[in-house]
Amino acid sequence: MQIAFDSVFIGLLEASPLILAAMGFTLIYYLNGFINIAYAESITMGAYAAILFNVVIGMNFYMAIIPAALASGTMSVAVYLLIFKPAMDRGVQPTEMIILSVGVSFMLRHALVLLVGADNRYLVEPEIKYLSFLGQGATNLQLTALVLVALIALALSWMIYRTSLGERMRGLANNPELAAASGINPHRTSVAIWFIAGSAGGLSGVFTGVFSAVTPMMGWNTILIVIMVTIIAGIGSVRGAVLASIAAGVLTAFITLVTKPLYAEAVLLILFIGILSFRKGRMA
Amino acid sequence: MEYFIYSLSLLVIYVGLAQLMHVQFGLLGIPNFGVVGFWGAGMYLTGVFNVSLNMPILLSILAATAIVSLVAWALGRMILDRSGQAILCATLAFSSIIGVLVISEKWLTNGVRGLGTIRYPFASSDFAELGFAIFILSVVIAIFYVSIRLRDSRLGRVLLSIRDNEELAASLGKDTSGTKRLIFALTCGVMAFLGGLSAPLKQFLVPYLLSPTVTFTVWIALVLGGKGHSFGSIVGVVLTVGMFDILIETYLPLPPEYAATIQNLKLFFYGFLLVAVIMFRPAGFLGAGRMGAKPKHATSTTKQEAAS
Repeated sequence: MQIAFDSVFIGLLEASPLILAAMGFTLIYYLNGFINIAYAESITMGAYAAILFNVVIGMNFYMAIIPAALASGTMSVAVYLLIFKPAMDRGVQPTEMIILSVGVSFMLRHALVLLVGADNRYLVEPEIKYLSFLGQGATNLQLTALVLVALIALALSWMIYRTSLGERMRGLANNPELAAASGINPHRTSVAIWFIAGSAGGLSGVFTGVFSAVTPMMGWNTILIVIMVTIIAGIGSVRGAVLASIAAGVLTAFITLVTKPLYAEAVLLILFIGILSFRKGRMA
Repeated sequence: MEYFIYSLSLLVIYVGLAQLMHVQFGLLGIPNFGVVGFWGAGMYLTGVFNVSLNMPILLSILAATAIVSLVAWALGRMILDRSGQAILCATLAFSSIIGVLVISEKWLTNGVRGLGTIRYPFASSDFAELGFAIFILSVVIAIFYVSIRLRDSRLGRVLLSIRDNEELAASLGKDTSGTKRLIFALTCGVMAFLGGLSAPLKQFLVPYLLSPTVTFTVWIALVLGGKGHSFGSIVGVVLTVGMFDILIETYLPLPPEYAATIQNLKLFFYGFLLVAVIMFRPAGFLGAGRMGAKPKHATSTTKQEAAS
């Protein structure tokens, strides 16, 4: 019983960055219909932007989150306008789009390394207090992060299911011609979605980075799990992405508690291949 | 001279891998993003058989190839009938699993401390290295011979028809699922064979060797040279691995502190090339080749015929 409770508790804390990344990733996948591997760099970019504002400029950690998310969203829009949109206009097929996005990902990552070096960097956290919670320890930072992630996730999900931007996005994804005919500006909507998705990825990077280190490979190392969670949740389902991320987090925590941490990733990926294999018909 | 033979052998292995991807993706349309998984599994299994079980090196390579072919067959059975995106994700996941297992199964692979030393066959002979390089070259020439013959054969036409319109091929009575599984298992097996051949070249196996850069390099070479062209893989590998790993890294007189920068510059440039080729010359430098060109109007009419 204790192990179940521990898994849920640790899993929730660990899943919080994954929730944000999966939410953003699923939006792009839903809107444009391809797996954007370069989304990994939105995650990394957010963390490095946070380093810039938090460590180099010296802003308070919680304050630095905002410009970091904006910077990551801006990069996401720039990549969309400069590379992905022209490629889609040229009629590049979904599989080739993925290969293209891998190219973009390598380009951005190694440009970053050339600029700032490959060393690990560390965010300056606000004062850490250990709190005890039903037999489990957590820091104030972890709990704040969890609350922040919950708030951001709620806001995103409200935006997708309740506002006109969300409606426009769903219209565009389902039938671009009809959406355009009914007066939706596809260009503006796409830019907004890529911005929001990029910002969500950036936030995910900040929260990943603050608990460990900021490295150039951090986005690349999580992207496969992000893809997996998104596909299992159903493409475009923001609520599903949240639930699947939590499930993945809890499962990871459980496997880590009973065996070795490394097995958690392997088991998740084997499960993923199994699910892909059993889901006939649909893309995933 | 020794290092030159080593670099050249590695280059030839990359050509072989890219040519196998030409068969998988260019002819059959299977986007295998787990190249490093199949190659690496072959390399590590060879290492384990050779070092831990003291099996002769050539026998180790064959055993590794057989095991990886079986695994690929099982994986193919699970995912080859899904969409390209699903196959891509599943193969990528497969290579990550191999990467994890190589680190976690220390009793087998010695983890990050490394597994070695793997010697060349006939290591006592003076010409062991050169002889082995010639052996690798002949294996890759054989891969080319078979893949070019395959393209002109009945089976090759079935592959192209699966790539272009699988429903149509199936409706003509071709066993499309079985064909895909068979070719996938065989080509992945040969990737593992090339991995086994790489083991004595590397001598000492560490998990770092299985980085996703291997998959990426093979893909960039394939896309650059022309995925549908029989010789696209040679052009692609010479332009990438040949230019950077051999010419620039070995022969350009650069101070050693630039080594890391060059590595990053290389991967940045690979990414840039990949983007540029897909945007401006999707068929690659050499184009689609004789039978690769997809007549657009023809497919649309056949689709109509199939529907009516």
